[in-house]
Amino acid sequence: MSNERALTAMIADDEAPMRDLLRARLAAVWPELRIVAEAANGVEAVALGEQHQPDIAFLDIRMPGMSGIEAARQLYRRSHIVFATAYDQYALDAFEQGALDYLLKPVSAERLATTCARLRDRLNKRLQAHTPAQPDIGQQLAKLTSLLENKGSPQPKNGYLRWIQAQVGSSLRMVSTREVLFFQSDEKYTRVQTAGAEFLIRKTLKELAEELDPDEFWRIHRSTLVRVDAIGEVTRDLRGRHMLKLRGHPFELEVSRNHTYLFQQM
Amino acid sequence: MRASQINSGLDFLRDAFREASVLWWRFFDWLAVVEWRQLALTWFLAFLVCIPLNLEQVAAWYFIASFGVKVLAGGKRKAELVAKEATMQANVATLERRLMEAQMAALQAQVEPHFLFNTLALIGQLIETDPPEAARVHAHLIEYLRSTLPQMRARDGGTLGKQVELSKAYLAIMQARMKERLNVRFEVPMFLGSAPFPPMMLQTLIENSIKHGLEPKIAGGTVTVRAYVDGATLHVEVCDDGVGIDPHADDGIGLANIRERLQLLYGDKAELVIQMPPSGGACALIKLPYKMMETA
Repeated sequence: MSNERALTAMIADDEAPMRDLLRARLAAVWPELRIVAEAANGVEAVALGEQHQPDIAFLDIRMPGMSGIEAARQLYRRSHIVFATAYDQYALDAFEQGALDYLLKPVSAERLATTCARLRDRLNKRLQAHTPAQPDIGQQLAKLTSLLENKGSPQPKNGYLRWIQAQVGSSLRMVSTREVLFFQSDEKYTRVQTAGAEFLIRKTLKELAEELDPDEFWRIHRSTLVRVDAIGEVTRDLRGRHMLKLRGHPFELEVSRNHTYLFQQM
Repeated sequence: MRASQINSGLDFLRDAFREASVLWWRFFDWLAVVEWRQLALTWFLAFLVCIPLNLEQVAAWYFIASFGVKVLAGGKRKAELVAKEATMQANVATLERRLMEAQMAALQAQVEPHFLFNTLALIGQLIETDPPEAARVHAHLIEYLRSTLPQMRARDGGTLGKQVELSKAYLAIMQARMKERLNVRFEVPMFLGSAPFPPMMLQTLIENSIKHGLEPKIAGGTVTVRAYVDGATLHVEVCDDGVGIDPHADDGIGLANIRERLQLLYGDKAELVIQMPPSGGACALIKLPYKMMETA
């Protein structure tokens, strides 16, 4: 149709070669489409999207600064969103379910042609009907955000502490919680014991107990948190105290009376 | 009746012979590894005991026989024993390699597909717009793949030089994708090229630096790979000036894998240290015993 207004588009991808490819392919299958902006990250995509208000925004999902999905949440009212992704199965399933448009990278000419034909059709109809409002995809995008953050794992990522930060000289030593055998409070510091080293941190045992994964560390004493994987055996010494031995390490920790229930079945 | 008697007699002889042969070989093994000083002491004792009993000849025979065996077969037998021990050590090495292969398979299944995807997509695109660059990236990819797969079996895979070469191919590919957002610096002295270094550790650290440090940073940054010897310890360090480490981010299978393998290979003599320097970014440092490659 000759009276069609030329549609405009924006491409957002952090990898320049990917932008080049999409631009070249679009030029081939949809020469009338005007590329009005190209963004190299999510923040730029939102800024340019608001400035140029393109009809279509092609958004890569993984971008620095802000993900494509986050950017889409701010842009979808003005621009029709088409996601581009290479491998994210969770995202693809969600796109299918939510009837969102997407491109699979690397973008093949045939596939792009089909998508573009559909887009052109829909957008022109919408323009002619003077209903620029798009279907509200805000809710789907919100769902998608939480889905991708959890990477499809059944349990949401709970944000437990995974790294202990210990000041060593002027650097911050990052001790993975997987390395830690136990934490023990020691006056105003907390002692962090690994297989080969010991660190002192200012974080209190109480704070640690709240932030650590309760399945990873157990409290066995008012002043001790121990790594569950490292628990060897619990024995009673001559004074009747319960002593916990760590597997493969020469440490012995006292289990206080009100925590012995943890080992009743062991 | 007679036949059974003969049979039992033969059985007895056979048993006695077997017993004697076991004893003889035990004596032989002992002779092979015993020190000359101790052997001389036994000669002295033999003469001391035998002379008062008028059995000088027995002692003399013992002296001649043991001396002869020690001289003639000792070296060979000793070598055999050493070889046996070496085989046992090799078995441990094989076990470690198998484990590593299994772990690698798991690791690769996680890392490779999208890396391959993106790289192939890039090459496909460059073929249309910049064929010489496409050829370069393609060559790097081939180099990277060739050396990732058979290196577990190849003997020279485990040198620092080889690992650095491999990392350079990987980084060249990443640079073609990230363009000016990724800078790379290598500070690895030539003489460390032959130092033994376990495969796939350097790449894991570099991948981490890019994935968690630089890719999320809008401006990108620099990955610096540094190697140096301090005393008898080889230090290999991968630093970036990216966004640093989120204390709540899972440290991932890659680092746990390195820690486990270091423990298996070097026990307490090696470690993986993760730090955030005051200037920002993150540093991962592998320390392990430094041994010069034997120039055999």
